[in-house]
Amino acid sequence: MKFINWDEIKYALQNLKQRKLRSSLTVISIMIGIAAIFALVSFGLGIQDYVNNLATQSGTDKLFVMAKSVGAPGTDQTFFISQDDIDFMSKINGVKEISGMYMKPAQISFRDKKRYNYLVGIDMSKIDFILQASNNLKIIKGKQLQKGELGKVVLGYNYQIANKIFPREIKVGDKVLISSQQFDVTGFYDLVGSASDDAQIYITKEQFELLYPSEKDKYSYVMIRAEPGVAPKDLADKITERLRKHKGEEKGKEDFFVQTFEDAIKTFTTIITIINSILILIALISLVVASVNIMNTMYTAVLERTKEIGVMKAVGAQNRDILIIFIFESGLLGMIGGIVGVLLGFVVASIGGGFAAAAGYALLKPIFPWTLIAGCILFALAVGAGSGVMPAIRASKLKPVDSLRYE
Amino acid sequence: MFRDYISLAVRSLTKRRLRTYLTMIGIFIGIAAVVSLIGLGQGLRIAITSQFGFLGTDVLSIQAANINFAGAPGQGAPNPLNDTLVDKIKKINNVEAAFNRYIGSCTIEFKGNQKIEFVVSVPGKDDRKIFERINNLKVQDGRLLTDQDNKGLLLGSNYLTGVTYGATFSKPIHAGDKVLINGKQFDVIGILEKKGSFMYDDAIWMNDDTMLNEGIRPSNGAVNIISVKVKDVNKIIQTQQDIEKLLRKERNVKAGEEDFTVETPQKALETLNSTLFAVQLFVTIIALISLLVGGIGIMNTMYTAVLERTKEIGIMKSIGAKNFTIFTLFFIESGLLGMIGGAIGVILGLILAYGLAFIGSIALGSNLIQAHVSLGLIFGALAFSFVIGTVFGVLPAYRASKLHPVDSLRGVK
Repeated sequence: MKFINWDEIKYALQNLKQRKLRSSLTVISIMIGIAAIFALVSFGLGIQDYVNNLATQSGTDKLFVMAKSVGAPGTDQTFFISQDDIDFMSKINGVKEISGMYMKPAQISFRDKKRYNYLVGIDMSKIDFILQASNNLKIIKGKQLQKGELGKVVLGYNYQIANKIFPREIKVGDKVLISSQQFDVTGFYDLVGSASDDAQIYITKEQFELLYPSEKDKYSYVMIRAEPGVAPKDLADKITERLRKHKGEEKGKEDFFVQTFEDAIKTFTTIITIINSILILIALISLVVASVNIMNTMYTAVLERTKEIGVMKAVGAQNRDILIIFIFESGLLGMIGGIVGVLLGFVVASIGGGFAAAAGYALLKPIFPWTLIAGCILFALAVGAGSGVMPAIRASKLKPVDSLRYE
Repeated sequence: MFRDYISLAVRSLTKRRLRTYLTMIGIFIGIAAVVSLIGLGQGLRIAITSQFGFLGTDVLSIQAANINFAGAPGQGAPNPLNDTLVDKIKKINNVEAAFNRYIGSCTIEFKGNQKIEFVVSVPGKDDRKIFERINNLKVQDGRLLTDQDNKGLLLGSNYLTGVTYGATFSKPIHAGDKVLINGKQFDVIGILEKKGSFMYDDAIWMNDDTMLNEGIRPSNGAVNIISVKVKDVNKIIQTQQDIEKLLRKERNVKAGEEDFTVETPQKALETLNSTLFAVQLFVTIIALISLLVGGIGIMNTMYTAVLERTKEIGIMKSIGAKNFTIFTLFFIESGLLGMIGGAIGVILGLILAYGLAFIGSIALGSNLIQAHVSLGLIFGALAFSFVIGTVFGVLPAYRASKLHPVDSLRGVK
């Protein structure tokens, strides 16, 4: 015996059409909940996708060594990594490439307007490694700095857009003041996707040391790439132990820490996932309410069609047939709501993503894999069918004779 | 007359008990979610802002401009304030006292455990008494610092429990104990009273000379914050402008291009508060979606009710009921649905908010998680649920009022 036949499908559709207003209201209520969930999940997946891309493009063979501090990077200069430490680490087996990075908040002015952003000092002989490790960042306008080049600066993506950082856009060849010294802008890096990264200022290591002589050899962080085949986690432990001994520090009293790229990402994704889950949980409440609405609609339908059910039973319909008809009907309500909800959610998420990108958070970009679309529709179908179970049971249990007499 | 409306509405609602219950469930789930989320958010906001809002209203703080959220105030500023400014500020009218404040970090070691913590300066000589008074510094153990304590320090109350930043650091430290600061031995002179803010309770306090001698603050004259206490709080805005004028001259910047800020503590809190408010608003909006769905449920129920009672409406109209009477009847019925649902929702929301806060504070051991449901929120939620009921009842009630008596009696739909 087939689970459901064509007649039953036609019957359900007919019933939904007959009570157009009630059906549409029920569909709307489930649509709203599905749209909210769809939009929130699409953002969550988008961020996860961004992070995964980051991992594959920059490679998971990356490690950071950072000085401990109580503030944001580059603001607390109590502890630092010295050039001597870097030279020492470069000799550790398993370290393929290593580069110390200077980082410090700095004042940048353009046409008499002042802003405060991070200034980064880069060892240009290691630039290929650093850029590759930074999500394959590329110069999109102008040209790269040369090793030892003075008086030249490369800026983050947002500087070339008016009203992002400065009211006027900056062009290659323009002059800016950094810590009151004049610099020529030679190029711009591509979009990273976070407002603070895209506002960074890049100069050569040599220029940085000239600008801040007291901070020579005091690196905020160090980037390392492991040799192929060396597990970053093991290398991190090894570096921690060797550097501790080199600096003459006791175990547990290090003034630095080593973090693998994976660890750094893991912390970030965990936080994002928790926040996103809480939001989805709250959005799920609306779906619970929608399911109550479906139940209500179905109970009303059972009541209204009591006589009809009696007739069907009198001409031979089994309890099971009635049950299936009603569950199918409520499942259909749910599924239609799901489809419209996914469409609405798509629109909402796209608009939201557009706003986020405009605000400088391009990493907040929703993605819509087909699993999400199918998942949401199936979920809506399940919620619909599930909410219809109790009313359907009531309908199937009706006594033919009583139902026929019902007014 | 009005009582008739109410009793009629109640009677129709109780007649279709199941449907009424289901409709009300839709509303009370939404209201409970909104009440508990706003309550928890409000509690969290109060808890977080109280971490910062401890200074009096008569204190101005001056900071050099910096990137946002760069950790401790004034830390790592590209163009920091200079320690010579303070003498000039003291000469401004209405300024009672002004002092340099330094924030640094160091390692602190006690019984083999080491941690990196932040150090806050205590000014010496004449400024000491005023500083202690403004900050309401009191010890629960030992005594406060004097100018002679160049190898001594005060600790926030959290060191007494051995837990700072919410993480267990070491065994409890008492006044009289010895600790290692950057490897050098220091005496713990006193333990401060609990303030309920990490900026006090987790901090190490030292004389600013000691910080300089130990290399915990730079020797180039850079200052993190300058705190200014005014004499007459009513003239604080004037004093703020006078200080801004002085600093513009000293730092050679034009009006509108200041690379420093002069703020009252309240002003500084506003930024944090508005960020938290934005987060809370977003969460509330998502919760409100469920109320919208609940409202649609009411609309559906009311349309069904109109349909079922078409004949009844016809009879009422034929014996003289006006359109307006029919409208009011259904309008009140849907309003009642909303309000009763809302009342249950508020009760459930209260239980949920305080219950979750209780479980959360035990599970996470943090006093940041607390609920605060104000009377305004309770009445607001009740009023809102009534509004939802009536708004979504308008269309069905309107349809009912427009039915033709003759058609309705015949059952033509």
